[in-house]
Amino acid sequence: MGADDASSAEMRRPTRPRHGFDPLALDDLSVDRLLTGTLVPASAPPGYARVAELLAATVAAPTPRELAGQASVLAEVRAVARTRSSVALAGPARPPRRRRRAGLAVVVVVGALATGGVAAAAATGHLPEPVRQAARSILASGGDPATPEPPEPAPVTTTGSGGAGLGAAPSTGATASGLGAAASGSVAQPELEGLCRAFLAGKGGEEGRKLAASAFQALATAAGSADKDKVGAFCEDLLPAEAKPKKAKDPEPPDPSAGGNQGQGGPPATTGGPPTSTGGDSGRDRGGSTADPSASNPPANDGTSRARGQ
Amino acid sequence: MIGSEFPAVLSAAAAGDEHAFGRLWHDLQPRLLRYFVVVSPAVAEDLASETWLGVVRGIIRFQGNEPAFRAWVFTIARHEVLDWRRRAARRATEDLPANGLVDQAAPDDPAADALEGFATRAALAEVATLPADQAEAIVLRVVAGLEVQRVADIMGKRPGTVRVLTHRGLRRLAQQLGTDGQVRRVV
Repeated sequence: MGADDASSAEMRRPTRPRHGFDPLALDDLSVDRLLTGTLVPASAPPGYARVAELLAATVAAPTPRELAGQASVLAEVRAVARTRSSVALAGPARPPRRRRRAGLAVVVVVGALATGGVAAAAATGHLPEPVRQAARSILASGGDPATPEPPEPAPVTTTGSGGAGLGAAPSTGATASGLGAAASGSVAQPELEGLCRAFLAGKGGEEGRKLAASAFQALATAAGSADKDKVGAFCEDLLPAEAKPKKAKDPEPPDPSAGGNQGQGGPPATTGGPPTSTGGDSGRDRGGSTADPSASNPPANDGTSRARGQ
Repeated sequence: MIGSEFPAVLSAAAAGDEHAFGRLWHDLQPRLLRYFVVVSPAVAEDLASETWLGVVRGIIRFQGNEPAFRAWVFTIARHEVLDWRRRAARRATEDLPANGLVDQAAPDDPAADALEGFATRAALAEVATLPADQAEAIVLRVVAGLEVQRVADIMGKRPGTVRVLTHRGLRRLAQQLGTDGQVRRVV
């Protein structure tokens, strides 16, 4: 214990009277020990035993009354967590890098197919050298800093919402449906659409071989089969449904595709981890300062909070 | 104190884990309340709630160990006090008499004191009779458990000033308490 220390402190004290005798003189060491609760009252300098008791009382064990308000604070934790997760998922967060590259690769392939009649080349898995180089460099590099302008699919999918999912409200809406859509496949809608266009463009019996090309593997995966007829049917289903009535009426269904292309891209387990954290930071900051996202979040909130397991 | 588990608890709480956040709350809420009871007793509970809102929103950006976290929380707490005083001053010039507000919500609730925490409440009330700077410095050192440097940062003063304030505060307490062995109200 501190008996020795205390007595030495006591002994020091009377030896330095300030302008006469000071009955309550207090050295710095004793001050620190009083304040940190390391000086028991019995060892306190003369006149400070009561002070030591009083200070001990200020740090007594919490009373039930002091611990009564936890529920409301935790409700706030819940609300903020919900807001953050939905903002992070829905907001104009950067798309996961891998997905962006894949999007560019599709752009390149589709572009190659659309220009110069190189469908046949693509069908055999061979692309013109410049295109291949472009694709290679895109896939190898950290990704083009330029935001990929949605080339082919975008005009189709974004005419309704008029944007690439940067607006807070549309992209928030996209989250709710985007999370649902995530279960259906691992490739974003616009990409599938582009692949389907390219796939169907070569209606000459070459589809089966197209599916062998790596760019179309994702399409086969999404279609659930590499069989060309099934992929064809899948694409037939996809394109009309995508292009026709939805966006004319209801702005929400098209949004997942718009958001999927440019923004969060919803899906899959493969990219679900990292993007959540990177997107989360920017989203959180926004969540703190912006009122709008949280206001328009409720649809997404339900899903995320449930997933969190409350 | 949470101790060695603090880093894990902090990051879980920052990620929205309610149980982890509850542990932080459980550790600091009594200290916060006691701090407010001394520096702005009329609105201790409200300011504690406001402080936690700030913690909930800002915890994602906080980095540091447990003492740093504690200091951060009390930094928010002090801002709440200053904000409230500003608002109260504004209100005082408009409608509400500020003094009336304070009187009306005096911290002492005899019935509650009789039931629980009497010694603590009496002790805090005693500290609250000190000049405001001294009382705040002592509470931040003792109840918040902060080191001199952190208290100085929070109060916007030099460490030496904080030492002087606590020293004077303790002396004054000793004078007030006398030697009769009782913790008693002086005012």
